[in-house]
Amino acid sequence: MKTREALTVLAKHRGDAIVVCALGMAANEWWAVTKSEDSFYMHGGMGFAASFALGLATALPTARVWVLNSDGSLSMNLGCLLTEAGQQPANLKHFVVDNQSYQTVDTMPMVNQDNADYAAIAKGAGIRQVATIDNLADLEKKTPEIVAAPGPYFIRLRVESEPDYQRAPPATYEGPEMKYRFGRALEKKLGIKVFGPRGF
Amino acid sequence: MDANEQIHAQLVKAGVTLAASLPDDWVNGLIRRVTAGNQIRHIPVGREAETIAICAGAFFGGVRSVAIMGNTGLFTCTGEMATLCLRHMIPVFCIVSARGSIDDHKVYQEVQGRRTVPLLQAYDFPYQVIDKPEEIERIPDAYEWHRLQKRPFVLFLTKRLLGVKNA
Repeated sequence: MKTREALTVLAKHRGDAIVVCALGMAANEWWAVTKSEDSFYMHGGMGFAASFALGLATALPTARVWVLNSDGSLSMNLGCLLTEAGQQPANLKHFVVDNQSYQTVDTMPMVNQDNADYAAIAKGAGIRQVATIDNLADLEKKTPEIVAAPGPYFIRLRVESEPDYQRAPPATYEGPEMKYRFGRALEKKLGIKVFGPRGF
Repeated sequence: MDANEQIHAQLVKAGVTLAASLPDDWVNGLIRRVTAGNQIRHIPVGREAETIAICAGAFFGGVRSVAIMGNTGLFTCTGEMATLCLRHMIPVFCIVSARGSIDDHKVYQEVQGRRTVPLLQAYDFPYQVIDKPEEIERIPDAYEWHRLQKRPFVLFLTKRLLGVKNA
């Protein structure tokens, strides 16, 4: 299963979910597949996409929030699983694209490559629903059930490591513009106020 | 009304409804006050930098939040404060114990006491120190001001303000 193929399946079942993407490959591929502005493509804070998504999910308890994490990012902050389990957010789904490499930095090997079971780690942290999916047929079959289930749900997407450096380019806008486009998209989508009357 | 009660009241007045925290013995009283009420939802974390990302995410949900931690924890957050919050211009309101100050004689707080302010200045993160009870009522103003700054802001609480003993 390749990353692009897996994210294409997720995009098909996304519905109205707001998506937070860890920086790098997951963000770039999600942008390539969806071009969606109600997704946040992190440009920094590696390791903290799940924490960002938890804050968003807590702030918006009636919205559905997904985080597209990556193995490299998760490894930088495994403690986020404890924090997430402590809150048991019913509206949060945590996907991890596990390609066993740091793809955006020349596909260098992950720490403890091929030996880590992130789903088991998530379960041990207290997230009761976990799954590992390593082929497209299973992903097609299981995604509707995962999407329909209450969260938290941790899904490890075991994909192939693809050696092409930055296979997909990042979103065509960045930093401050990302803030305003994402914030305005959520205001429009959910009828909330992210920015005040003077724009900040 | 003690300082923690006053700080909590001013945070509520500022519209804060979410707090993420990791304990430090100087701010534990404030964390306990937050958890004792139902006006501010509390998220305990395993590492201080999570508070920064949680508050950044909450910002996009239209929720006002606060990150509460000790000075040592603030040291560990600066990478995320820069690469997430400065990069995307996201305001995050931090309440931090002013550990390592002249009245803090814990040897393991010494570096933080000397280097925190220069570190914040290097990143251009604004900060204020609240040392007297009458200054607590400035919190709502500080909250509005930090949103205007579009970056992390640190409000230091002193030992004298918090009435901390033996810590």
